[in-house]
Formats: sequence, C-alpha cells, structure tokens
Amino acid sequence: MFGIPLHIVLPTLIGSLLAGMMCSTMGVFVVRMKLSSLGFAMSHAAFAGAALGLLLGAVDPLWMALLFAVLTAMILGPLSEFSRLDADTIIGAIFPLMMALGLIFLSRAPSAGVGNGAMSLLWGSVLGITMNDVYKLALLAIVLLMVLIGCGKEFLAILLDRKLAAASGINTRIYYYLILFLTALVVALSLQITGGLLIYTLMILPASAAYQLLYDIKKVFLLAPLLGALSALLGFFLSLSADLPIGSSIAVMATAIFLASVAGSPKRRRTRIEGNHVTPDQS
Amino acid sequence: MGSTVVELSDVSAVYEGERTPALHNVSLHAERGEMIAIVGPNGAGKTTLLEVINGLLPITEGTVRVLGELVSPRSHRLRREIAYLPQDMFFPPDTPFLARDVVLMGRFAGIGPFRPPRQEDHEQTMQALTAVGAEELSRRPIGRLSGGQQRKVLLARVIARQPRVLLLDEPLTNIDPEAKEDLSCLILKIHRQLGLTTLFVSHESGPLLAAADRMITVVAGRIIARGMTEPQFAKAL
Repeated sequence: MFGIPLHIVLPTLIGSLLAGMMCSTMGVFVVRMKLSSLGFAMSHAAFAGAALGLLLGAVDPLWMALLFAVLTAMILGPLSEFSRLDADTIIGAIFPLMMALGLIFLSRAPSAGVGNGAMSLLWGSVLGITMNDVYKLALLAIVLLMVLIGCGKEFLAILLDRKLAAASGINTRIYYYLILFLTALVVALSLQITGGLLIYTLMILPASAAYQLLYDIKKVFLLAPLLGALSALLGFFLSLSADLPIGSSIAVMATAIFLASVAGSPKRRRTRIEGNHVTPDQS
Repeated sequence: MGSTVVELSDVSAVYEGERTPALHNVSLHAERGEMIAIVGPNGAGKTTLLEVINGLLPITEGTVRVLGELVSPRSHRLRREIAYLPQDMFFPPDTPFLARDVVLMGRFAGIGPFRPPRQEDHEQTMQALTAVGAEELSRRPIGRLSGGQQRKVLLARVIARQPRVLLLDEPLTNIDPEAKEDLSCLILKIHRQLGLTTLFVSHESGPLLAAADRMITVVAGRIIARGMTEPQFAKAL
C-alpha cells in the first residue's frame, strides 16, 4: 500500500480505527460534561509520561504515558470537583508544566537525535505501530465496550444532569471517576497514533460533530465512534498519500468532518429560525 | 397524616468556603401526606433546606432523618425515596435527550447497577407521561419543549420513580400563567394520589400555596415563622 508493505501498514490502519472509535466515544462524555480542560491536561500528561519513558529507556513509554494520564485524572478530578478553582485555571497550571516536562524529557532522550520515537510521540507515526500495540488497543476497546454496556444507564443519567442523577439516588462520584479513568486509559494507549499534541482533536471533534447532528444521546454514542473511525481512516490515507504526519492528517480530517456537521446541523438551522422569533413548535 | 416522615433537629449547614451558615439551628418535621410551603426572600436558605433534606448538602450540626433514617451525602439508597426537582431545571435546546428517556432515567437508581431497564420500567415511563398529559411529547427532544412542558416531563419522572417524599424548588418560576395553573393542579394531583410528603419552595401566591397544609418562613438561614397559609387563616376565622 503506497509502496509500504502491508504488514507494516496494517497495524497502523487497525490501530487508527480503534483509537478513533475509542477517543471519540470518550469524547461524548468529555464534551457533554465540559471536561475539555481535564482531557487536554490528560493528553499532555500522557505525552510527558511517554517522553519520560523514552528518556529512561528501560521503561516502555506506553506504561509511563498510562501512569501520567491516570495520575492526572485521579488528581485533577477531585481537585476540579472540590476546589473552587476554575477549570481554565487548572489547565493553565497543568498544561504548560506537562508540555515543558515532555519537551525537557524528549530533549534529553537518546532517540532525540534520530527523532523517530520523539517525533511519533509529538505527531504520531504511521510506522511506529506494531501488532502488539493493536492487541492492547483491542483489549481496551473490549473493556470499554463492557463498561459502557454495564454502566450505560448510570452514565446516561449523569450525562443528562449530574445533580439530577445524584438526587435520584445514583452514586455519581464513582461513575464520574470511572469516566476520568477510562479517558486516561484511552488517551495513553492512543498516543502513538495521533501524537500527544493532537490526540485531543480526535477526542473532541467527532463527538462534537455527532452532537451537532443528533438529539438522542444513544444515537450520539453510535455516530461519534463512526465519525472518529472515519476521521482516522481518511487521515491515515492522507498521511500515506501525501507523506504527512498521521496525527496532523487525522486532525485535519476530523476538523473537516466537524465543520461539515456544523454546516448541516439541524440544531443550528432551528436556532437561526428561533432567532427570528419562531418557536420550536412552529418550526 | 400520622407518622413523621421528615425530621430536622437543630440543623446547621455551611457552604464550602463560606463562614456564615446557610442554615442555622433549624428544626422541622413533616408528617406523612403533609404539604409544606417554604417561603422567604432570595438567599434566605430555602434551597439549602431542601438540599439537606435529600442529603445533597452535608450538614455541620444537628440531624436530618427521612423515613426514620439518618440522611447524609452517602444516603444514595434513601435518596431513591425522595424526588427532588431543583430550581431552574431547564434544558437548553440542543440537549441530546428525548423526553421519555428523561422520565425513564428517574427509575435507573432503583434498577441497580449492571442491569438494563426492564419492560416494566418502560411501561411505567409511558404511564407516567400519560398521567401528566405528556404522552405525545415522549419522542421529542427535551430541550425543544417549552418551560411548562419540560416541567411536566420532570413531574412524570417523579411519578415514574414512585417516591415517598417530594421536594420542589420554585416549581412554577419562568412558566407562563396558563401553564402555572395547569402545573399547580398536576402537583396537587401527584401529591394526593401518591400520598406523598411534599415540601416546596415558592415565591408566589396561587393554588399551590393555598393548598399547603402549613407554611414556614425562612429568613437568613432561620425559620422565623410557622403557621397557616392565608386561605387557611381566613377559613379559621
């Protein structure tokens, strides 16, 4: 495929599809619960962790990315919940720190000169994915699917309104932390595909596009991963055909899909009509 | 009427980061089937009172009991018996939930984890929507409904849950006058048919306030007056 042996390209293709589906599924939570700043901080923490893994050499960057992302989720979740700090303040403190740490680790890492490992952490890599990585992504996809099926109704109640869910007798805190934990896992494992700088787009844009198009959250949960997979697939082929970094290519495609969804959104059409004083019932 | 369902003894509550108690040594009891109106100026502690009753806000002193059980923020099981409609509960137009799902979700805590909603839950949902006259709204997105229609759907959620205590925070604010009348009747119907113990916060006079068994006035976190509503007072004369 594009002059690259299939056995090299195939893991990246499958990995991109899995990462696209999982990131955008978690994006449905992140967008609706306004956790964007937390997701942003987590993705950069995963990047810093992976960079530290590269620096240490003996430690798999993936495990360090996982550790940093999960730790960020476990610290920032309660912090944003209990402190009265604005989400922007939290991200303002965490994002530069993680970015700075990541770049410091990379500059000191043995592979920095060659650039393969370092650059794939930043921008993703078509050639950096192995079948072993694909197996890990597939395992996480199965776990994610099982958790979504098992806790689906509680998740939906929280997505409608967390206070209303708590008032109805659901222990929302457990599910809230579970969402953060799953997001951290997905971010860390998908890092190699899109890179630390752009993974966030794969999480936010397909989910936002699905929200633009649909009024039923259950359908949003079906469409978002499809749009995530489509972004990843189109980005993959753009990357190969134009010799571009895969992360950037996926981000461009996800943005194009999002813009198309905004242009065709029934919600925006109705909003415009309402602006002219036509009520929803009349439209 | 008879046994005490809600009982607050010398309850104080302070919001995190604040020094002045939002509630100060409040004692209150509500009997089974009773309807109590809570009135008072803005910021008096009326919403706080409702939130300590269902345990959403922790208390710093005193005890709160509902149905004989001590209430705390961890009283998730007990909270299934208490339906609470928060103030200004309006969904924006792009809210991605259908009306019937909003009602169905009221039953989720009772179903328990790792179990999908049963046929019975879907049937109760439709029955509840029919009871409030909102069955035709069931497939509509909740955010596309008017304020009055959204309140109806939330009241259907209350019916679907079949609670024993109902807490309503300003249930008639931002609703047009015709819908207010309609909703007041609906709340009274639900209160009576389900035999609920109802406490509601209200700023305005109307059929709901007139139907209350008792009225308490909260000012600066304290109950400063307890007594009859105006029509009851007139009747007593």
